[in-house]
Amino acid sequence: MSGESWQSFLTFGFFIVLTFVCGAYCLLVTRNMIRAIIGLELLIKAVTLLIIVVGHVTGRVALTQALVITIIVIEVVVTVIAGGIALRVFRHNNSLYIGDLNKLKG
Amino acid sequence: MPSLLILVPLIGLVALNLPNKDIMRKLAFWFALGLFITQILLAIQHHPVFWNYQLEKMDSFFRVNFSVDHLSFIMLLCIGIVSTASLLVARHTIHDEKERFKLINLLIIASIGMSGTVMTSDIFSMYIFLEITAIASFILIAFEKNIYALEGAFKYLMLSATATIMILTSIAILILAAGSTSFSDISQAVRSPGNNIVVVAIGLFLCGLMIKGGVVPFHAWVPDAYSAAPASVSVLLAGIVTKVAGIYTLIRTITAIFGLDGATRSALLMLGAISILVGAFAALGQKNMKRMLAYSSISQIGYIIIGFGTGTFLGIAGAVFHLFNHSMFKALLFVNASAVESRLGTMDMDKMGGLSAKMPVTGATSVIGMLSAAGIPPLSGFWSKLMIIVALWRSGDHAYSIIAILAGVVTLAYLLIMQRKAFFGKDNESVSEAGLGIKTASVMLAGVLVGIGISFPFIFNRFLAPLREIIHR
Repeated sequence: MSGESWQSFLTFGFFIVLTFVCGAYCLLVTRNMIRAIIGLELLIKAVTLLIIVVGHVTGRVALTQALVITIIVIEVVVTVIAGGIALRVFRHNNSLYIGDLNKLKG
Repeated sequence: MPSLLILVPLIGLVALNLPNKDIMRKLAFWFALGLFITQILLAIQHHPVFWNYQLEKMDSFFRVNFSVDHLSFIMLLCIGIVSTASLLVARHTIHDEKERFKLINLLIIASIGMSGTVMTSDIFSMYIFLEITAIASFILIAFEKNIYALEGAFKYLMLSATATIMILTSIAILILAAGSTSFSDISQAVRSPGNNIVVVAIGLFLCGLMIKGGVVPFHAWVPDAYSAAPASVSVLLAGIVTKVAGIYTLIRTITAIFGLDGATRSALLMLGAISILVGAFAALGQKNMKRMLAYSSISQIGYIIIGFGTGTFLGIAGAVFHLFNHSMFKALLFVNASAVESRLGTMDMDKMGGLSAKMPVTGATSVIGMLSAAGIPPLSGFWSKLMIIVALWRSGDHAYSIIAILAGVVTLAYLLIMQRKAFFGKDNESVSEAGLGIKTASVMLAGVLVGIGISFPFIFNRFLAPLREIIHR
């Protein structure tokens, strides 16, 4: 690994860790379905950034670009489904509080 | 031509959704049935002309490296049989034609995802196909759109997305180490010494797969998702989705990429034993039939993990065989649960009783499924549990083999409770036998269980002995 790419790796690494910590904190602290989905989004963004940096460092840019585009597509579909579920739950319960999702027990 | 198994359903799916929908709605069921039965026949026959012939134009268009070995054949067979059962159940439990059409579409998408997962030899394609399966399952669980279904689907979605993040982080690290995503390249990079960060990647990857498979510390979503999903979907989920998404991928990545070293081995044995015990004892206290079967599923997955953890040929063959058997008998028990649900409208076992007299086919096949799950000879579940226990004893893990034997007694106990409460005893309700499709599905699955149990030596030589190739690679 050359000095320049190591430098960019560190710069990106800082932001990857920052995004990841924000997402994890959001996911752990929140009790709101939409915020939980946003936390998940932040985590996936951090991982996507990591894959881009890995492509830059190893020189396999074409491979990682293909991967990143695929990840974005799949992530959008998952988010839309999660949002749809949250919308349905809101219409049913009139709240997005995760604690209300406790009907299944045993 | 393995890519045809993905391409034909995909083209068919587009064709089914062309504007002229009235005819297509009627055709959809037969198209899906044809697909699944073709898949079963191709997987049983494994004729080299089909599997090894290269279609150059199509393969270069696809850019996915498919490689099919004997483990893939067993999984493809499993996917075909369970999807057929789920389709037959859907025909008789969902009466609105529009809704059924949607469900059949999603079922085909899920089966494309699963078939792709078991055939690919590239870690990133594996991730894509896993996500296709998972996305189809989210929608399928939430299919009835009541609050229970939404809750189950949301829990599954959040945990599955967390698993995806772990797997993707691990893939990023593996690309950093190997510079490629194919199994063989990563395997070489992983096994070269002095790569400490790879250990993190392996740990994350395996944790992600265990969340998807519902192994014990990560099992919270399993009973919720199974019991909230509509009848035909819980057959598919319990029968095959979690096995392909969690357990098959675990077996494949460990044998083909990471290697089964001492630490992985002891971790697998311990998690397997905990899964067996927690699942079995939690199942004992359940009142809801589907929840009991879901906990039983966790316990049986523990058997698969513990068998695989021995690392010997006998153990791995036993694990794969138990994976197949478990798919069959758990699908059968869920088909019977859906038959009861369609007639009684409840899953509470305290409100059932004496169903055997009114539903003879359901009652009889349920006994076969139950005995096979408990490991009573000569049904197929006996052979796979025997292989796992003998492998554990031979590899020197005596304590684990004793746990496996004793948990078998608990298995028998909770299944007998279910059988007694639901099917035996005095009846006080006027119910009738379930529909033809459900009966066909349960007779088919019971036939597979009995047939494999009786012709075990043949099955061993033809399907399990070739599994040696996946260990000594």
